[in-house]
Formats: sequence, C-alpha cells, structure tokens
Amino acid sequence: MKASREWLEEYSDIDVKTTKLGDILTMAGQKVEEIIQKGTDIKNVVLGKILKIEKHPNADKLVVTEVDVGTEKLQIVTGANNIKLGDIVPIAKDGAELPGGVKIKTGKLRGIDSCGMMCSVGELGLDIADYPGQIEHGIMILDKSLENKLGENIVDILNLKEEIIDFEITPNRPDCLSIEGLGRETAVALGKKFKNPRENLDKLEVETKEELEGLKVDIEAPDLCYRYVARVVKNVKIQESPEWLKRRLKACGVRSINNIVDITNYVMLELGQPMHAFDINSIEGKHITVRRAKSEEKITTLDDVERTLDENDLVISDDKKAVAIAGVMGGQNSEIEETTKTVVFESAVFYGGAVRKTAKKVGLRTESSSRFEKGLSAENALRAANRAVELVVMLNAGEEVEGKIDNYPTKQKINKIKLEPEKINNLLGTKISKEQMIEILQNLGLEIENDIITVPYYRMDLEQMADIAEEVLRFYGYDKLEITLIKADTTIGIRNKEQKIEQKIRQILKISGLSEIYTYGFINEKELDKSNILEELKKEAICIQNPLSDDYKYMRPSTIPSMLNVLSFNLNQKNPEAKLFDISRSYKNIENKIEKGEVPEEEKILTIGIYSEDFDFYVLKGLVENILEEVSINRYDIQKEQTNKSYHPGRCANMKVGIDTIATFGEVHPEVLENYDIEKRIYLAEINITKLTKYSRANKKYEEIAKFPAVERDLAVIVAEEIEAGQIEKAIVKKAKKVLEEVKVFDIYRSEKLGVGKKSIAYALKFRDKNKTLNDEEIDEIMKNIIDELQKSFGAELRK
Amino acid sequence: MKEQIEKIQNLAIEKLSQTQNLKELGDLKVKILGKKGELTILLRGMGSLPKEERPVIGELVNKVRDILEEEFTKKEKELKRKELDERLKTENIDVTEPSKKTKLGSIHPISQIIEEVEDIFLGMGYEIADGPEIEKTFYNFDQLNTPADHPARDVQDTFYINDDIVLRSQTSPVQARVMESKKPPIKIICPGTVYRSDAVDSTHSPVFHQVEGLVVDKNISMTDLKGTLEMFAKKCLGENTKIRFRPHHFPFTEPSAEADVSCFVCGGKGCKVCKKEGWIELLGCGMVHPNVLRNCNIDPEVYSGFAFGFGVERIAMAKFGIEDMRLLYENDVRFLKQF
Repeated sequence: MKASREWLEEYSDIDVKTTKLGDILTMAGQKVEEIIQKGTDIKNVVLGKILKIEKHPNADKLVVTEVDVGTEKLQIVTGANNIKLGDIVPIAKDGAELPGGVKIKTGKLRGIDSCGMMCSVGELGLDIADYPGQIEHGIMILDKSLENKLGENIVDILNLKEEIIDFEITPNRPDCLSIEGLGRETAVALGKKFKNPRENLDKLEVETKEELEGLKVDIEAPDLCYRYVARVVKNVKIQESPEWLKRRLKACGVRSINNIVDITNYVMLELGQPMHAFDINSIEGKHITVRRAKSEEKITTLDDVERTLDENDLVISDDKKAVAIAGVMGGQNSEIEETTKTVVFESAVFYGGAVRKTAKKVGLRTESSSRFEKGLSAENALRAANRAVELVVMLNAGEEVEGKIDNYPTKQKINKIKLEPEKINNLLGTKISKEQMIEILQNLGLEIENDIITVPYYRMDLEQMADIAEEVLRFYGYDKLEITLIKADTTIGIRNKEQKIEQKIRQILKISGLSEIYTYGFINEKELDKSNILEELKKEAICIQNPLSDDYKYMRPSTIPSMLNVLSFNLNQKNPEAKLFDISRSYKNIENKIEKGEVPEEEKILTIGIYSEDFDFYVLKGLVENILEEVSINRYDIQKEQTNKSYHPGRCANMKVGIDTIATFGEVHPEVLENYDIEKRIYLAEINITKLTKYSRANKKYEEIAKFPAVERDLAVIVAEEIEAGQIEKAIVKKAKKVLEEVKVFDIYRSEKLGVGKKSIAYALKFRDKNKTLNDEEIDEIMKNIIDELQKSFGAELRK
Repeated sequence: MKEQIEKIQNLAIEKLSQTQNLKELGDLKVKILGKKGELTILLRGMGSLPKEERPVIGELVNKVRDILEEEFTKKEKELKRKELDERLKTENIDVTEPSKKTKLGSIHPISQIIEEVEDIFLGMGYEIADGPEIEKTFYNFDQLNTPADHPARDVQDTFYINDDIVLRSQTSPVQARVMESKKPPIKIICPGTVYRSDAVDSTHSPVFHQVEGLVVDKNISMTDLKGTLEMFAKKCLGENTKIRFRPHHFPFTEPSAEADVSCFVCGGKGCKVCKKEGWIELLGCGMVHPNVLRNCNIDPEVYSGFAFGFGVERIAMAKFGIEDMRLLYENDVRFLKQF
C-alpha cells in the first residue's frame, strides 16, 4: 500500500523527516518497504519552449533547435522527431543530472554545438503508464498552459518531490490498506493527535429507503454478502478529476479514468472500502440481486475478458444478467460511460474466503479482491458510500439523491475483551503500567470501561488478550523488550538414535572421500522410466496438483534418478570424478493412503553415487560394510540381486538382516547409463536409514583379550566359477565351530592351468580356544572336516 | 708367557683400530675373548706354569681382558654411532613430496549449518523433532490458526497433492504434532525440508530448509524469546551479534515479530550482504497463538510458549559467501569440495 506523506499529514502532524517516519512506523508494525521520491535524481532540468527547428547540416536524422529556457536561449541538437515549434519540453541543461547517474554536458553533435538535451519520460526516470498521451521513444511534450513557467525546475512542474511511502501491510490489518488506517497508526506512533478528518461520516444520518430512483436491492446469499449499501447521484457530468485528486491517486499507484471512477478508487484508498459505480440505466429492471452465479454463467469483466463462473461465485446481478463479480471486478455491461447521467455507488461487504476463491479461480487479483479477502468491516461500508456522494457534490460532478438503500442481513460482531494488565506483562515479560496500556489502547480508538475493552469496528483482528498485548507492545516499543532466559526445569537435549546415526554416516563418508549433495524430491515422469524403476514403485509416485513445471510433477518414490542426474551433471561439467552421497527421503503412496487423507510413506535413504577410476564394486561394498560396522550391525547377509533393473544383474547385491533388506548396492545397469548418456561405470548404493536405525545395537561389550595363542592355517581350494566365496566361507564357519576365530579370503586366482571356469580361493583361518592352547591334532581334525565338507558340497579340490 | 699376553693385547688393539663394522668387531671379539679365543686358550694353558707365577700371570691376563673388554665396548659404541649416522643419512627424505591419503570428502553447507544450529539448541536443552514432508493441511494450516478461508493459504503458494494433503510449506506442522502428543514442558527444534511454489532463481528455490523452534511451559515470556534468540545469534553468528525485534504478523503467533541481527559480515557497518543496512532479516517469531495452544489441547490460561523459524539457505549463503542459491542444489563437485 502506497501513501503520500502529504495525504498522511491530513490525519496527523508529522514533525520528522520521511525516512525517520518510515523507521518509526516500521518499528510500530507497519513495515516500510521503500520511500519513493522520484525527483531526487533529477538536477538542473527545466521547462523550455521550442523556438526554432532547422535541419542539421551534417546529419539527416538530426535537427538543430533553439529553445527558450526563461533566462536564456539555448541551441540544442536532437534526433527526436515528435517535436514541433512552440512545444513545451523538459530541457536538461549543461551540468544536468538524470536518474541512473547520467550527466549532461555541452558538446558538439556532428560538428554543431549542443548546449543540453530534451528529455523523454523514460529519461526522467518516470513510468510511461503514468503519463497518458506521451510516447516512449520521443520527447515528453507538456501542456501549453505551462508556457509562463519557462525555466522552472521540472521536478516542481511535475510534482516529483512528493514523498511516497510504500508499506507492507500484513494480512491481519485490512484497515491499514487505507490512508485513514495508516494515518491513525502514524498519529499514535508519533504521539500526535489523530485529526480524524472524516469524523463527519460517523455522525451523518441518511434515511434508509426501499427504493432510490426506482432502484431496489435484494441479497439472496446473506452468508456471502453481509451488507449492501447503495447510494445514487444524478445529473452526473462525467469529466476529468481535479489535479489534487489525480495526484493523490497517482501517488498510490492508481490511474485516473474519470471523476466517478476516480471517486470510487479515492474512497477505497482513503477508507479501505472497495466501491463500485454502475450506470443505473444498465441495470435491467432497476433491480439488483446479490446471488450465487449459475453454473457456467458468463460475464465479460471491465478488462475485456470473458469469465466463466459457477455456484461458488457471487455476482451482482440485474433481472437478466450478472453485472459484476462481487468484490472482484465489474462487468463491461454496466460500465460508467461518458453519457452516464445517474450513477449507483455500491458499497458492499462480502465474505472474504469466497472472494479469495473466486479471484483465484478467474485469475483476477484486484485492489478490491485483495482487500475483501482479508475480511472487511460492514460498519465501514456505509461511511464509504456517504463519502462517495460527498465527493461528487464537492467536485460538482452531480447531485445527491436523498436517502440510501441499506441491506444489512449479517451484523458485524463487535468484540469485547477483558483488560488484564498482569497477564499482558507476564506474556511480554514487561512491567508496563495499566495507565500506559490504557493510553495506548485509547489512542488506537479502543474504548475501555470497567476494564472491558470495546474494539472499534475497524479492528476486527483484535479478539483476545494476546492481541491486546501486541497492540500495547507495538507502541510501548518492541525494542524496549529486555533480554531474559527461560526460568524453568532443566530439560535434556540429546540426539536420538537415528539422528546420531545420520551424523555418524556423514562423518564416515566424508572421511572416505565422499561429498554430500542436496537434491530436490521432485521428479518427472521420464526419469522414472529412464532409471528403470520397478513398475510397482512407479505407481506409488505421488503427483503434485499444481507443480511448478512438468519436471517437478512427482515426488520421487526412489532416490536413484536424483543421484543419476547429479552424476550426469558432473560428467557434463567434465569433472574427472564424483564421489557423492545424499541423505534424503523417498515418498510412496502405498495402500492409497493419500486418497484416504493420510500422509504417505516417507523413508530416509542414504544414496551413494560414484564414478571414479579408483573405484569398483568391492570398494563400494567396503564402504557399505564400514557404515554397518559403525552403527554396530554385525550380523548381516550379502546376497546377489538380479531382479532390480536399475542395477547390473551380475554386479548387484542386497544386504539383509534376517529377511529385511537394508541396503542394495552395485553397478548401474548399462541400459540405464545409456538412457542418461553416461559412458562411465557408475556405482550406486541405497541404504535405508530407518531400517539401519532399527537394527543398530548401541550397547557394545568388552570381550576379554585372549590369553592362549592362536593357531593359523591356510586353505586354498579350487572350485567352479559359480561357487561364491561367501558360500564357502559359511561352510567353513559351520564346520569349524567355536574355535574358529577368524576366516579371511587372502587370494583369488584364475589361470589356464586351473582350467576354464575354475578359480582358486585361498583362506586364512585363525583358531583359538579361550581356555587352553590348541594342539595340532585338534586343528588337523577340524581342517579335515572342513575339507571334506567343501569337497562334498562344492566339489572343491584342495590346492597344494 | 708374559710376552705372549702382551703380544695378544697389542695385536688385538691394533686390529681393533682397523675394524670397520660391527660384524668384524664381533668376529674379533670371539677370536680373542671368546670361549675358544686366544686369551682364553692362553688362560687355560696356565696349568703348565710354575705355581708361584700363576697368580701373577692370572692377574695380568685378567687385567688385559678388562682392558680389551673396555676397548671392545668403546669400539662397539663408536661403530654403532657410525652405522646409525650412515643409516640416517641414507634414510633422508623430502618432506615436501606429496602425501599419500584418502582425500577427504565434504559435508554440504546446508547440513553444516543445521548441525551447528542443532548443537547450540541441544546445549540449551532442546530436543530435535521431525515429521512428514508430505503433510495434512490439518497440521500445515488448520492447527496453526490458518483455517480454510485464511488468506495465508494463498500467500504461501503451497504445493497441493489434493485438498487434504500438501507439501509442507513450513516445519511448523511438526510443532503442532509434538504439542498434540506431548505435555509441556516442550522444548524442541525442527529442522527440515519445506516446499513453496517459487520458481528457481538466484535467491529462490521451491525446496528449501528451515529450522523452527518451540518452547511451551509455564511463565514463558516474550523477553525469554528475545534472550534465547540473542544467545543463539551470538553462538551461531559471533559474540558481538545484536538482535532487533520488529512487529510482524503470523497466524500462529501473537504477538509476532521479525528479528533482525546485526550484519555478521560487516559487523553492522553496512555491506553488500546486508544491503548497506547493517541489519539482516533473520527470522520470524512470536508467542504461540492461544488458538494454536487450544487446538493442541494445551490450556493457554496455564501455559504460554514461544516459537521461531528461519531459513537455513540464507544463513549458509551469507556465512559462506555464496551469492547464487542454485549452487546449493546443483551439486558440482568443484563447489562441494570447498566445504
């Protein structure tokens, strides 16, 4: 909301500079975004009159002019082609400054002296939309009536000195979307008297009538329209508004149209109540009905666009058609025209929620709708209607028709709140006296009698003690709040198990050389296909109703595509290697939870993604194993995984605890790599942190360091290629029983000598008995059992 | 015999002086003093001497043995020193040659900031709470005093899954869930991912991170809020950081405030980061709205509380000097490795 200082001064004396006023109001809750004063960047630009225009001897596109700038006559060369003899134009003289730091100096243009420059609207830093009739690529041509002001500063002529304050108004304060509301805040914040220039409106008595100039009003939807006030003016002369009114509108960023439309806008800015003006003759049957729209009902709004409505929208209608979308925009069919003689001013209050929905649906957020949607006071509506009529009379734009139509089915509730100074001080941590509280509240227009506060009609946001506390604090001063610390029982702050695990993972992966990434949870349809995600998983992807773009249409059911995108990006950046991890979530709509209104499944996943020369499956496996070790999961199974289509079927494994898969890792399927145009091998791991937490056993126990010596034996066997090292190891463990302390593969060997499809695996075995020294005979027997078993189960051949 | 002894002694000393290494020294020692050494053999041959000469010669032999032992020890020490010197000389390395190591990876700046914030609040006795990102409108809005027709539902431009489910536009629904399930005292922070329908540019992202905090107990006041936030700001942004409250409006707090901190880049003098204002808008906060407490079955007549929330990216960008938010989500390793 923009407000000029000049307009605010009508409500309160202001004895501080505008920047200071801005600071004070910001600290009182009306945040100043910007103070605009267009003229500050313009120096030494004056009004001039063109006396001569002659051809430039050396250039076809330039002309040489003589300009009268009051005190002297200047020769100026210009390329403009919209100037005529006698035009009044802005002249930047030698030494002038223009917005954007442009400096003008006397110089030669193609050999001819030029002692200044004629300015366009844009060169003066002004908006072409604010100056109708001017052209963008041409000199600004001013009114001939200014001829007696040659040489005067353009800043004064165009009234650019005006200081305009742009406020950010919070949605709870629709009353401050008006100069009156801001004026009241200004007065209280500065400790001045609120001048209340519109006090007359509160006292004005206007008789309520059934009919005005034959016009009748019915409200069919009192749940959506709380009040409808209509006033009528006749013998209207549609013309331009006076300068002062146009200037005030412009300061607030509103364009002048004609006196009647300007009055509706002026009242909206002044009092915060949106208004609408109809030509009474465009109202069929002179009967206005406020009703719900019919399904598929159409109306062409003032901006020339046809809008389609339905039963959720409210319209202002005559006997045949809708003439306005209530609270949003008027219809073309009832627009004020130059021939309009009798005008109906509508000042109504609609249910904000419905206006908001309609405005959103038809895609029209107007000055009017953005006020209504915050909830307006029905009491204020009558003031606004009366003010409009007052202005018509004042501007000599027409005659007042006595009386008003006032349909007021839903009375505004006036809130009463108990004043509880002690509770307020406890909540704020302050020691503000009751007297000071009362003074602040009364200045804001609240009435207090016997500790009961009656809230004025324009402050519908005040409902309970906390609201009153905020009002007190705003004008007592947020900056006066002291600094204290909570006085309460001690609480313990500690990370829970999952949070600790996450922290450990970050550390261990960082030390292992991986960098953490952050990815969006969004995904597009194509990516689900590209990464070969399981069909059933695809079906669980959650669709966003209003995505930013098709690329962000789904919530990912798998983190793989996000990781592949990042790896692919790094490859495109020609980064020689990338070792990355991401701790993030996957989202799955299982059991149609979303359709049932329940939140879907979210799993926390650690995703590892790597391309690097010094990396292979087994390095990845080591990384995954280290993570499990770090979180104290010691019992797990590693099994080959061949059904997951995102991974290479021969180079992928699942890590299981019992039957629960807690991790899947391996090389990415060549087909997926091709889909992503990746030519390197990519290693991926997905580790479910939620499950990791479930199986993590935090309590470690000390085991006594062995007193008796260990016996070490090596065992090398030749087996068929399909036999997995893990299978053999399991068999060894099973046969060796308790005295086997450790078994490790230390060599895997393939050669022509061994034969095609064969490999030799060598294990180092370490035996130890906690209670005695093992002798050779015992070990020999165990070794024999193991060898027998390996021969029997795997056809293993002992390698000598 | 005496001459023989002296001869052995002289010869030994001469040879000793020529010995070059410990092995030669050992051999020489065995040859002279060993079980079958020259001196030992000589001593054994003493039986053939007349009785009266024996003690004299015996004494002489022992004396020579002592002398030689000492000489050998001296020589041994000398040779050991020499060998060590030589070894140290040959083992000299260039310490400026490159190291052998696994290059460290890195933790994302967003995680680093979140962890830092968590540690500060854990130290003040807060727990860390978490909740779903795909959330019921009930928790994201209704419970937080933002009913169906509230304009804030529009202002925030939320991503909707359907009428009842949204991508949470704030981490506050976690607060509502905690208040619903736990009796006061409540002291939590909720870090997490949030979603708003903003197009990607250098200062906006549809996905970003927030940390919110909530305290509900008896006698919690707005000055406690200010004190807590100042303590946090000092620990997170520097001991000289000051905090300033400005009035604001949020549906879920009353009174509400926006908190600025003195610019931690320039110290309040005015710079690019604070847009020459000396202050940086850091967070929104306020006293928990009595309607919110009531919605969560907490009696506002008995309990009060405060809540605050801020964006992690903004702090990360200001602290690390990152000017374009897109870098945080692009994940270029050349960017990541710097943290």
